[in-house]
Amino acid sequence: MRRISGMAACLVAALCAVASGAAIAAAPPTIFAAASLQPALDQMAQDGLLGVPAPRLVYAASSALARQVENNAPADLFISADERWMDDAAKHDAIVPDTRSDLLGNALVLIAPAGSHATVDPAHGTASLLEALGSDGRLAIALPDSVPAGIYARQSLVTLGMWNALQPRMAMSRDVRAALNLVVLRQCPLGIVYRSDAVSEPRVKVLATFPADSHQPIVYPVAIVKGHDNAESRTLLAALQAAKARAVFRHWGFDVLAH
Amino acid sequence: MWLDHAETVALALSFKIALVGVFCSLPVAIGCAWLLARKRFFGKPLFEGLLLLPLILPPVVTGYILLIVFGHHGAIGRWLDAVGLSIAFRWTGAALAAAVMAFPLLVVALRNAFESVDRRLEHAAATLGAGGWRIFFSVTLPLSLRGLVAGLALAFARAFGEFGATITFVSSIPGQTRTLPIALYELISTPGGEGGALRLTLVAVIVALLAGLVAALMLLRGGTREAEA
Amino acid sequence: MIELDLALQRGEFSLELSLRSSARALALFGPSGCGKTSTLLAIAGLLRPARGRIAINDHVLFDGRAGVDVATARRNLGVVFQDARLFPHLTVRENLRYGMPRDATAQAFDGVVQLLQLATLLKRRPGQLSGGQIRRVAIGRALLRQPHALLLDEPLANLHREARVEVLEHLRGLKREFAVTTILVSHQPDEVIALADQVARIEDGRLEALESAETFGASTQSLDAPHRVAAG
Repeated sequence: MRRISGMAACLVAALCAVASGAAIAAAPPTIFAAASLQPALDQMAQDGLLGVPAPRLVYAASSALARQVENNAPADLFISADERWMDDAAKHDAIVPDTRSDLLGNALVLIAPAGSHATVDPAHGTASLLEALGSDGRLAIALPDSVPAGIYARQSLVTLGMWNALQPRMAMSRDVRAALNLVVLRQCPLGIVYRSDAVSEPRVKVLATFPADSHQPIVYPVAIVKGHDNAESRTLLAALQAAKARAVFRHWGFDVLAH
Repeated sequence: MWLDHAETVALALSFKIALVGVFCSLPVAIGCAWLLARKRFFGKPLFEGLLLLPLILPPVVTGYILLIVFGHHGAIGRWLDAVGLSIAFRWTGAALAAAVMAFPLLVVALRNAFESVDRRLEHAAATLGAGGWRIFFSVTLPLSLRGLVAGLALAFARAFGEFGATITFVSSIPGQTRTLPIALYELISTPGGEGGALRLTLVAVIVALLAGLVAALMLLRGGTREAEA
Repeated sequence: MIELDLALQRGEFSLELSLRSSARALALFGPSGCGKTSTLLAIAGLLRPARGRIAINDHVLFDGRAGVDVATARRNLGVVFQDARLFPHLTVRENLRYGMPRDATAQAFDGVVQLLQLATLLKRRPGQLSGGQIRRVAIGRALLRQPHALLLDEPLANLHREARVEVLEHLRGLKREFAVTTILVSHQPDEVIALADQVARIEDGRLEALESAETFGASTQSLDAPHRVAAG
């Protein structure tokens, strides 16, 4: 089925190229990227680091993007916020396997609204978090079964022995940026998001960073989507790994992984 | 049971939230529908437009508006918090989200029901000494009952299936705000969750069909009963 | 005493009427479209005159200059509409009782029911009644309000011959039993002659004549009036 639709897509693309009379196809490439990459990628696009015209950037939870890519969504590149969803896409034969690489890393942090007086004592994690939550405050977190940021957060809390006490006090959001927003709007006194999210948002402050070994490594794999393996996509992939791009990623709180 | 515990909780919660939401908004909807059906006043088109907003706005936007108005520190939320009636992150907040999203459907159905009542009967009631409230409760309302029930059925179905505004306003909290549609969304988003997703989808379809059936039955024979021999 | 002094505009049609009548039963007679039903609606408060004054037995219902416009519900009139307008969701009994004052006695109710022969119909719904029965219930409902005045809009219109005779007889009976001021609207001479004491002829929105029923009857003899009463 994928082969047929892949061929059909190529045929349509070829027809479009012929019809336009030009040697190069008109539409810019599309990147499906995890929501947390928005500030970094937007800046890169604006600075022209991703080519001109800038590619179309589509942000959503990795789970939603993976499912769409598996159903032939018109993406050229896919950047997931965790390996699991990239594995899932690979299993459904939606990506070109030898173009897959680990692009970025990240860390998990505990945040509070910028004006908050809450503090956290790492030695007594659960108690100090519960104290910071007060009588009816909630901990903002992305859905822990499906959204990568939520999955990592659960791993950390389980490893640190804090999950059972905190689970009844959570407010789970559709994606990590919604969780971030709840803290920004002071709807929740605490939240767990990526370091990159906290860096990009001046209205929250980082109370603590979760130890890297308390959760699986946060890795952002990138791959070219099946059926879109062409010179343009490869160029775009290379641009994401270039020095200038790496600087922007670091600025926004990501770790750049060596190849 | 065919559904597991978490799914059953979500189903029961959805029923509770949709029922409370729709029935609590019913008096307001009746008032608005009656105004639209019977009165002319300055700014009526604007009023109608406002009532239809939840139907037109993206649900997430509506949820966001609810969040900044009724959430902690919100314009109304801060007063609710002060008197201990906070609805943020509670099933009552989910009920409000569901009610708001279903409201336009309810008002439109009620308005049609009221407009289908022969005003001449209301005039006759007036000549017999009935004031406005009595005319409404003894003539208008009984004669528009079918349309009212149909509207309630449709509004209930809409409230039951509400997702975007709910998750944006009150997030997902099992036992409080994790309704059936939200549980369904979570299952779809989890690799291997397809089985549970399918079960919940079936339940959602059955509820919607039943509601549609009620509405259709009500509207099939209704409407022209008020014409006399 | 019926005092009607009103001016009305409905689209292109204009009505201007001014009369005083001390008759107990006044008929407004004229062809369709002459404005008689509009006059009745204005008296009932369902139409607002542009100006004028309406008073029945010293109860002022409308006075443009004094800014008086009594709400329909408080005019204490019994209106029998041409289309009856019985409440379809209520039984005959409930319809009859709808406008009854709180202090009305059971005898009052029974009296009207007996006079109009409605006893066997009380449990039925309007949908189960014949044309004549509906008309009688409508009359009973208006009467049971114990109003200052009764307004009848074409009480015998659209009835089969037998029903016309039946209802006409009941109306005659009413006239004998109840001393209530009545204003009757009709375009049929026989109804008018049978039920009214005085007749106001209206044509094209203007009062043509105000005469006694006998005078009116005499002038319409040539229209085969007795024939019409019998044959309907």
